[in-house]
Amino acid sequence: MKLVNKFTLWYISITLFVMLIGGTIAYYRVKKEIDDGEIERLKNLNNKTAEQIRLGVATELQTNGRPIEIAKLDSNVVSNTCEVKESSFYNPNINHKECRLTVNSYYTINDQSYRISSYNYVTKTSQILRGLISSFLLILLLLAVLIGISARLVSNRILRPFHVALDRIHHFSLRDKKPMQLPETRTKEFNELNDFLNKMTDKVLEDYNALKEFSENASHELQTPLAIMRTKLDLLMETELNDDQAQLIGNIQAGIDKLSRINQSLILLNKLENHEFETSVNIPFCRATREAAATFSELMDMHALEFESHVEEKVHLPVHPALADILLNNLLSNAIRHNIPGGKVVLSLNRQGLIIKNTGEAPEVPTEQLFQRFKKGNQSSASIGVGLAIVKQICDLNSYRISYVYEENWHIMDIRFP
Amino acid sequence: MKVLIIEDNEELANSIQRFLTHEGYICELSYTCEEAREKLTLYSYDCIILDIMLPDGNGLQLLKFIREAKIQSSILIASAKNALDDKIEGLEGGADDYITKPFHLAELHARLRAIYRRKKLNGGHLVEFNEISLDTDKMETAVNGSALELTRKEFDLLLYFMVNKNRVLSRQSIATHLWGDYTDSLDNFDFVYQHLKNLRKKIAAAGGTDYIDTVYGLGYKFNTAKK
Repeated sequence: MKLVNKFTLWYISITLFVMLIGGTIAYYRVKKEIDDGEIERLKNLNNKTAEQIRLGVATELQTNGRPIEIAKLDSNVVSNTCEVKESSFYNPNINHKECRLTVNSYYTINDQSYRISSYNYVTKTSQILRGLISSFLLILLLLAVLIGISARLVSNRILRPFHVALDRIHHFSLRDKKPMQLPETRTKEFNELNDFLNKMTDKVLEDYNALKEFSENASHELQTPLAIMRTKLDLLMETELNDDQAQLIGNIQAGIDKLSRINQSLILLNKLENHEFETSVNIPFCRATREAAATFSELMDMHALEFESHVEEKVHLPVHPALADILLNNLLSNAIRHNIPGGKVVLSLNRQGLIIKNTGEAPEVPTEQLFQRFKKGNQSSASIGVGLAIVKQICDLNSYRISYVYEENWHIMDIRFP
Repeated sequence: MKVLIIEDNEELANSIQRFLTHEGYICELSYTCEEAREKLTLYSYDCIILDIMLPDGNGLQLLKFIREAKIQSSILIASAKNALDDKIEGLEGGADDYITKPFHLAELHARLRAIYRRKKLNGGHLVEFNEISLDTDKMETAVNGSALELTRKEFDLLLYFMVNKNRVLSRQSIATHLWGDYTDSLDNFDFVYQHLKNLRKKIAAAGGTDYIDTVYGLGYKFNTAKK
């Protein structure tokens, strides 16, 4: 629910609650005032009549058109007391219920007890209630409408900094390396929020950059010692060696080779993340694919794999040529490496996408996980397990959709171009 | 051939120097830009091996200096920074080739020879040893004067061996040389063996000597002592 709606609902609920209580109070107050006034008047009337009796003046049994009833009582009464009775009855003449207020006053005049009664019709309870409810409902409606409209108008204004912040957070990306920079507002809470967000994102950016810089530097710094090791081994190979020593050097060479490959892949991934390969120039992807197919067909032959390639003409894509090569190389290398003896590789390219599929054993882990770094379908394999991570990164960078499924002994890599 | 090695890491510079000296080159070392500038103004070199990241400056600035001073040496950039921009900038700035650390010394040597051959006029494109001769321009091979049909890979392989005669070439180094950086995630050693087998067979069939020896546990060697 939107904040403004929540506020509106709360306001309306509070108003409703206050009005209910207020209405009840008003109802009783109004009724009491009316009754009290009438009782006071009737009492006064009774008193006047009693005074007339006391003075022996003939009393009018009619006052203001209302009959006054004078009764002589046998029993003694406490003088100057009165009782009030209220009764409702149905008046068939006006087809309406009526409320009659009767005041009985007791007097002792010249040792004779009198009861003097007078009555009048007063406004009925339900009428007061109805009037109150209808007017209160009208007020409530008016309030609700006004609150609804003004809340929207005002909230747009007041909550603008909040929406701005929300929008910025939404578009915030660590890779852009741009600080959030939320503007000052006149609301204390929003200022606090913006302040916090600014500080937090600055810190996150700083940490992220430090970490990235570290991993980049580490990769680059590793290159030189690796180069030293490799060249020293090259020199060592030239010396007189027995078979044992040669074997050991061979093993070290292989280790350094793998290390340098991992390092280079990590550097490449870093660069992809840094968007160092951005381009908007269309390159003939079909040509890159044909070249890769030609290079790999030789390797396929050597692995005794059947290779089929269908490359459509004039497929141009805005991708960095180096990335196109890496993408094709990695996919085709994988298709060879994870194949079975006498297997098959099928490559097909058209304007919609690129599909490379190969026969092979079922993967040991879910195919989606193989896009993660250092995740290998077969842990013992010689690969280092970043080939697909690089492929995925290249696809993400160029907004290609990539899927990897295993169906009926086929590993199918499907890349859809935008 | 006179080579200037501009590399701030002494160990690496020494390795290169040792390897190239063994090939009969005259090598000089510079560990800083300043030193390199001085040497370049005083002496002339056939080839320069240039590192990009130097303690007192960027190798690309040095490259600019070399080109502005109209120094005619061939330049091979050897950098740890495999950044594509550096590569393009380096090649556009007048470098002849670019090699990424960590490299094999044999590969460095092969590249150095290649750019040197390209610069050298008349006969520079010919690589010969005894009865075998390679024309790197036309990509033609001849044994005892008669043409030998080689595939591109076999030609590259033979050239690599003939440039690095009497050197033990590891299978990794050969695979990287033939297939580049990206395909080496494949286990290409079998193919190295396969190509080598075909190459030896072809040379033998043409009446040439099989100079290529297998070095146990390490790789192969073009043995000039063979008869």
